[in-house]
Amino acid sequence: MNFLKQDNLLITEPALKQEPIVLQINGVEYRDYTTATKTLSQFLRETAGLTGVKTGCNEGECGACTVLVDNKPVNSCLILAFQAEGRQIITIEGLLGADGTLSPLQQAFLDYGAVQCGYCTPGMILAAEGLLREIPNPDDREIRRALAGNICRCSGFLNIIKAVKSVASQTDTPVVA
Amino acid sequence: MKHIANPLPILDGHEKASGQLAFAADMKIAGLLHTKLVFSTVAHARIKEISIEKALGIPGVAGIFHHGNTPDNTYNSTIWFEDQEAPQDEQMFPRTVRHVGDRVAAVVAQTQEIADHAAGLITVEYEVLPAVFDVVSTEKTCMENAGSDEVSIFEKPVLEATFDYGNYRAAFDNAELIVEDRITTPKTHHCAIENHICIAMPQDDGRILIMSPCQSIFAVKFVAAKAMGVPASSLRVVKTPIGGSFGGKAEPVLDPLCAYFAKTLGQPVSICFNRNEVFTATRTRSKAIGHIKTAVDQLGRILARDSDILIDVGAYCTGGIFLPDSMAQRLCRLYDIKNQRYRGRSFYTNTPPAGAYRGYGSPQIHAMSEINLDHTARRLRMDPVEFRMKNLIHPNSVDPVMGLEVGNSRIRDCVEQGSSHFNWRRRWSASGKGNRFRRGVGMACATHINGCFPGFHEATTVTLLLREDGCIDLTCALHDLGCGSNTVIAQIVAEVLDILPGQIEFSEVDTDICDYDLGTRASRMTYIAGEAARRTAMGLKEQILLAASLMLNCAVGNLVMEEGKVSGNCEPGRCVSLGDLALHESVRGKLLTTTQTYRATANPGSYAAHFAEVEVDILTGAVKVLDYLAVHDLGRAINPQLVESQIHGGIQMGLGYALFENVDIDPDSGCMNADRFSRYHLVNAPEMPPVEILLIEKGEPTGPYGAKAVGEIATIPAAPAIVNAVNHALDTNLTELPLTPERIVDACRIP
Repeated sequence: MNFLKQDNLLITEPALKQEPIVLQINGVEYRDYTTATKTLSQFLRETAGLTGVKTGCNEGECGACTVLVDNKPVNSCLILAFQAEGRQIITIEGLLGADGTLSPLQQAFLDYGAVQCGYCTPGMILAAEGLLREIPNPDDREIRRALAGNICRCSGFLNIIKAVKSVASQTDTPVVA
Repeated sequence: MKHIANPLPILDGHEKASGQLAFAADMKIAGLLHTKLVFSTVAHARIKEISIEKALGIPGVAGIFHHGNTPDNTYNSTIWFEDQEAPQDEQMFPRTVRHVGDRVAAVVAQTQEIADHAAGLITVEYEVLPAVFDVVSTEKTCMENAGSDEVSIFEKPVLEATFDYGNYRAAFDNAELIVEDRITTPKTHHCAIENHICIAMPQDDGRILIMSPCQSIFAVKFVAAKAMGVPASSLRVVKTPIGGSFGGKAEPVLDPLCAYFAKTLGQPVSICFNRNEVFTATRTRSKAIGHIKTAVDQLGRILARDSDILIDVGAYCTGGIFLPDSMAQRLCRLYDIKNQRYRGRSFYTNTPPAGAYRGYGSPQIHAMSEINLDHTARRLRMDPVEFRMKNLIHPNSVDPVMGLEVGNSRIRDCVEQGSSHFNWRRRWSASGKGNRFRRGVGMACATHINGCFPGFHEATTVTLLLREDGCIDLTCALHDLGCGSNTVIAQIVAEVLDILPGQIEFSEVDTDICDYDLGTRASRMTYIAGEAARRTAMGLKEQILLAASLMLNCAVGNLVMEEGKVSGNCEPGRCVSLGDLALHESVRGKLLTTTQTYRATANPGSYAAHFAEVEVDILTGAVKVLDYLAVHDLGRAINPQLVESQIHGGIQMGLGYALFENVDIDPDSGCMNADRFSRYHLVNAPEMPPVEILLIEKGEPTGPYGAKAVGEIATIPAAPAIVNAVNHALDTNLTELPLTPERIVDACRIP
């Protein structure tokens, strides 16, 4: 957003109103007519109101903003919203059942003591969900590698790894796409 | 016991795992203004001029604040009650900036983008002053200035704490061996994943409401009132859910500014720091340098110890006045040493201020002590476990500094059972060999406090009310920092009343509703607040039984309270549910409620011994932690799962303290080199070793159901255990933390 830094030249909203950005999030379509410079995390939090998406560093280091884009974990602070057009985006809210029940992975995080302050949790769960969608039964090393881009400062990761493993071992049969 | 020792998942876990818990940044507030601060780019300077005209001309800017238009009241952000004494050296916007990242100005605007843009247009002219980045230089200057009235407080020591007992001189003279070390611990950062944030807004009654993730609503109230120069009664503070703190949010950094902006502009205002700002403009762990000298006899008995500690508090004092005493207190509660001298001194430097951080001085002082003791054991050619066992304190010892009993201290059990469980002797004798990859084992002991007793109003007030639906309203300023302390409190109350922990509903943490409380600090939650909750629940139980006795026409002694109802054996089958009893009483104009204040009467120690095995690659300097055992004397685990998580998290932080973490102040510019996550390495999932936990649960008589604290101590022995393991692997005496690959490679170089 370098152009915003130029002296006395703050590009006003109307100038930026062009084509809307249209995103498919948790199976619902969202449109936004504002700036094209919005990151995906800003779009998700501000436009779509999905505040389960957290931001912690805006440089792709902490992973708190992780969401699934076409089933792959992505730091939503590092891509622009329009880059996700035409893709299926899933946030933590999208893992819940229709009646608000937790997904098996969310429930496992709770049961195994993998949740403390809860700030890294949505991103951590989605990083793990992305792994499980790619490798339904990962080993310890694969789980640790898949979580390497997510920082948890409370739990020391071990119960998170246990939680992921517990769900992995339940899904012995490959998921049919 | 139904609920004590139950590994219950945290009560607010559903909201957290589903992403539905609203943190401050997630709250929708109509008309909210956003703030961008302008920070000093120089380490020490007088501000000659601030040019704000260009920024003011930007549409959407609501206000610009700086030293020329804000109160110049001095304050100290560490206080947690109104008349608490502490050097008042902070200002909202100081005229003289004292570190890179100090506050110069703030732009408040309709959107964050506008605020960011306008803040970039503010120019500042500085008259640069000499800056000091290392505490040794400050100490030298202070010694030269001693006795002079001309110098500012920043050129004087913040505080000096000393003690001296026994006859340490004679002991040193007669010693078989004296082992001396200079040990340094780095300035590190909390790295809570939620960045610092504050929201403030005018209320209809004319007061300002402050909402922030804080560790003490009353600290926020008193600090903000002092800074703003308004009566504390004109402020109301509500705690929001907190995304990790570890002490980083203990001192209100943003709240006084945010409240002032909201008051001045008459609109809701938020300040939301980004990660880089959290690193450079909030708080850190103090850097410390210790000279430790230990005298021993041939048999490995410690005869005397001399400790001289320099503490770098950074640009502002904050809690720097407590650190030298805190360190002394913790140093003296672990080993039985008959002759000891201690001098702890804190000094200013032109670096970001230190503040509270998990362990409050304990990680520094125990790292120093434990690294030096391992060195001593090596020099004695003695097994470090055997050496420690000869010197560790016994239960119910009295600490020689404060004169307080350490309680049922079970450090000897920790070391004994831990070394056996870890196969210490075998591993210790076997390691060290190898060509490129060298293995070693290390261990360290630690102790930490339980609350603030005997000082600082160490008390907690809890109100319990039985509702007509059989649930309990619990009102108390309990600041759960995310680790599940509310769940532990709920388990305690549930145990007393024999209801379900989920039936206890916690009040908002709000200065309008809650009685005064110190907040979450000093490992006081389980031990102090837990005991307060237990006693209040006992009081409520008495009331319930009395009411039920009248209703059921049955003597209290013949009543049984279980599973949410009271039954009497006077008339078989006759019972009343707690909800119906509450209803029965309320129509008679009586509420089943009680408020009790529990004042602490003791301050026992929590104890721990950690054991680690490492493999050091002498080519790259990388350290891999292969195996880890944490043994904790915590009296009793109310919730073993939460205890486990606390210990795991403490180890993650401690390994970083030993090996990677250092904000690294540039010695020329005073800029922070590791000022964001991409430059500040934390232990992540692949690096976290397997951890085994052994709990010593022998009960603390003054703790609720025998429990004492675990949250802070979990991190304390980790760093020295790792450093000792590396020194064992390499046969070195590395004493400068963190043991970065560069330092390790340097140490392994053949001379």
